[in-house]
Amino acid sequence: MKCQEFVDELEGLPVERSGEATLESLSAKLTEAARQHSGKCASCRAGLEDLAAARSVLRRLAGPPPEAGPWFAKRVMGAIAARENEIEEGRNGVWSSVGRLAPRLAAVCAVLLMLGGTWAYEQNRAEQIKQEEMRSSESLFEAPASSPLNDDVMASATEGRP
Amino acid sequence: MVRNDDHELVRRAQKDDKEAFELLVERHKSRVFAVAGGILRNREDVEDVAQQVFLKAYFSLKRFDQRSAFSTWLYKITVNECWDVLRKRKVRPLVFEADLSEEQAQRYRAAEDVQDGTPDISETLEKRQELDRLLECLEERDRLMLVLKEVRGFSVEEIAGILEINGNTVKVRLFRARQKIVERVKRKDAAKA
Repeated sequence: MKCQEFVDELEGLPVERSGEATLESLSAKLTEAARQHSGKCASCRAGLEDLAAARSVLRRLAGPPPEAGPWFAKRVMGAIAARENEIEEGRNGVWSSVGRLAPRLAAVCAVLLMLGGTWAYEQNRAEQIKQEEMRSSESLFEAPASSPLNDDVMASATEGRP
Repeated sequence: MVRNDDHELVRRAQKDDKEAFELLVERHKSRVFAVAGGILRNREDVEDVAQQVFLKAYFSLKRFDQRSAFSTWLYKITVNECWDVLRKRKVRPLVFEADLSEEQAQRYRAAEDVQDGTPDISETLEKRQELDRLLECLEERDRLMLVLKEVRGFSVEEIAGILEINGNTVKVRLFRARQKIVERVKRKDAAKA
């Protein structure tokens, strides 16, 4: 047996549910090949001794693990239900606040629309007045359209006569 | 026939079957407590973390693809949650009685009393403090490995899965950790003698 195989076997030794972990009790759980190997290999023998000593001292000092109370699972399920409710309320909250604010939103929109419309109408009207004023001032100072001179008319009328 | 193994229960819980999830909680609560108890020493913290672990598991269950075992996934959440608690507090993980307020110490003693009915509470506390001091020489991760393996009976494969490291690394680290604490015990005994 190789040292690595021995270590693998050592780490696979189950923890004692009752009673103390001793060198003898651990050795007894090993395979014959592993026992022979630990007899020959000092390092692996030391590893086995360390395991027995460590288990013994840890088991003595650690005591029983903290245990869940009898209602632990129910409490977890209660906490899950509460969290789900929170999430649901959060989702509903957005829509319900939209619903609650809808009349106010509509009123604000109507006011904005009215103000915007009035402003646009006024702008348009001001533009029209401006254009009309410009047109009227142009016609005041504009020179009348030149009528053909009578002489030219006469000249053209006599043209071609003997 | 309904197979009530973890795989089947997880599949049902993923379809919003709350009873199935409750069965999973019942099935795994002891080991979640054991893992959390290996990192945190305060019973209240352990209970809070355990509850938080199952809440997290429930709300992320739909993303769990069952490629790894449910238990490994759950214990991984437990370890991360415990380390998160310690990181947030920025205190050393092991709580000695001297670190507790009078009220906390009383509650701690009361909890111990209820838990195992031991008449001599001070002896239990003394032992616990001795264990904490003994393990102080180890890194947080090695301490967890040692407690899970040699006290709570987790296998090397389970520990490797929880800590997301190679199984051989776990074996080597356990080997060294045991060496360290045995040396420490021997030195202490020699000093006493």
